[in-house]
Amino acid sequence: MKWVLLQLLLWIVVCCQAQQLRPPVFNTVPAGKYQVGEKNYLSNPLRTVTLDSFRISVTEITNEQFAAFVAATGYVTEAERKHNAMVFAPGLEEFRWLEDSTACWRYPNGISRGGIDAKMNHPVTTISFTDAMAFCHWAGYRLPSLDEWEVASRAGKSGSRFFWGNKKETISKYANIWHGRNHLVADSSDGFMYTSPVASFKPNPWGLYDVYGNVFEFCSGKAPLDKPDSKIVHARGGSWWCSKNSCNYFNSVNIGNVNPHASFSNQGFRVVKP
Amino acid sequence: MKRIFLAAVMLLPLTTALAQEYREPSKESEEYNHYRNKVTIPPYGLAKVKALIADIKDVDDETSALAPKVYNGLSLREKFTYHMIHAETYAQNCDAIPPIMDEQKKIFGEIPNSFNDMQWSERQFNWFQQNEDSVVAIIKESTLRSKRLGTNYKTAIVDMNAVQMIPFLQEFYLRDKKDHDILTIFLLFMKNNKYQPFLSSVTYKKLYSERSDYSSFIDYNSANETLILQRINDFYKTYRK
Repeated sequence: MKWVLLQLLLWIVVCCQAQQLRPPVFNTVPAGKYQVGEKNYLSNPLRTVTLDSFRISVTEITNEQFAAFVAATGYVTEAERKHNAMVFAPGLEEFRWLEDSTACWRYPNGISRGGIDAKMNHPVTTISFTDAMAFCHWAGYRLPSLDEWEVASRAGKSGSRFFWGNKKETISKYANIWHGRNHLVADSSDGFMYTSPVASFKPNPWGLYDVYGNVFEFCSGKAPLDKPDSKIVHARGGSWWCSKNSCNYFNSVNIGNVNPHASFSNQGFRVVKP
Repeated sequence: MKRIFLAAVMLLPLTTALAQEYREPSKESEEYNHYRNKVTIPPYGLAKVKALIADIKDVDDETSALAPKVYNGLSLREKFTYHMIHAETYAQNCDAIPPIMDEQKKIFGEIPNSFNDMQWSERQFNWFQQNEDSVVAIIKESTLRSKRLGTNYKTAIVDMNAVQMIPFLQEFYLRDKKDHDILTIFLLFMKNNKYQPFLSSVTYKKLYSERSDYSSFIDYNSANETLILQRINDFYKTYRK
């Protein structure tokens, strides 16, 4: 009897822990005028923006943090409801993804390619913009705006593609990206083919990890070239899939477009604390 | 006070320069961007196909794929229209090529995406492959009628590796030499089929080597145009499917 009670107690403790969000660490970006964009780049022209101070998470939201949200609310993601997540496997032509009805945040590239049990400290993926917003609503956070994300990623640097300047090769110190010429064969040359645990690479000077690579990070707001009635949302920073030859968006300039209901296994987010 | 005034005067050119950093593309460039990103809308069963697509909106007002039963009930030409106006799956975040300055003066290495945040599904790509002869015939017919080759048609041509269309495409291009993405189709044919004289060329290095990316281009000029046409004709003479 005692043994059963002990087991029950242990189960309750585990359940409670699972439902508790371990909050991310936040760093403060001071209020001020910042230069964003790039000269003659139509999608993100060079300009000065004025921002209030904000606190941004130093890492991307992890599987563990998203699991706490799901455990607490019973939330079902879009990919779980619609069975239309987009996944990757080596051998695909550039920009081709597979629709996999078994894929969702628990199995980011489909059941056959494994679950997240040993990856709770990786960024959550295979979630949509709508799912990210639901997490934020529950946790009392919000997504960074496009300008906030860029200012935080630049860490005080302006007029260049990266927070260290324009030298492309430096990316390997800071980001989990794809180093192969194409996606026909697997590339794990930086230690990871898909996502890496958050903070596996060096942070930027303001202490933010994985601003480039690992996962594309959803942002709020409209981009300069958006049509007024556009439903498209944006994500920045590139991902583990991105290579210098295809989608070299692992920088502080490019702004990605994506459908708000699309769930890709290279798509995640970080948050801002109001 | 004098110092402040002097500093303000000295800063003036800097602020003016910052304000001028954003340079609009020329009207010609904008028009070409619009032209090259257009899809061709086929006329075959268009009203019926549009009505079917409107019926498959989900709870989020998003369109997805036609149910297999409905899809299988379409004629070949209706399926062609369905695929050319409707992509069934989501496209990745980063594949949109942003507008570029002086776009009309460039020959790009890749063809723009036809459907913004959507792309053809495996079922759709497979259908093109399985019906290549019919698709090629319909594209020719539709192109001659509308006098343009939309980016959706170009993507299908490259994906099917429809090398047999080279003479038709060349003739179509030479009518007005307006659509430089037809030259891009030729470049992609030579790259995808590993045509050795092209793989060892300067153009290949500029467009498809380690240092290139999806927005890489070469200048549009008569020398480059002539070279591409000469190479694609040489390739066509030696090509065996």
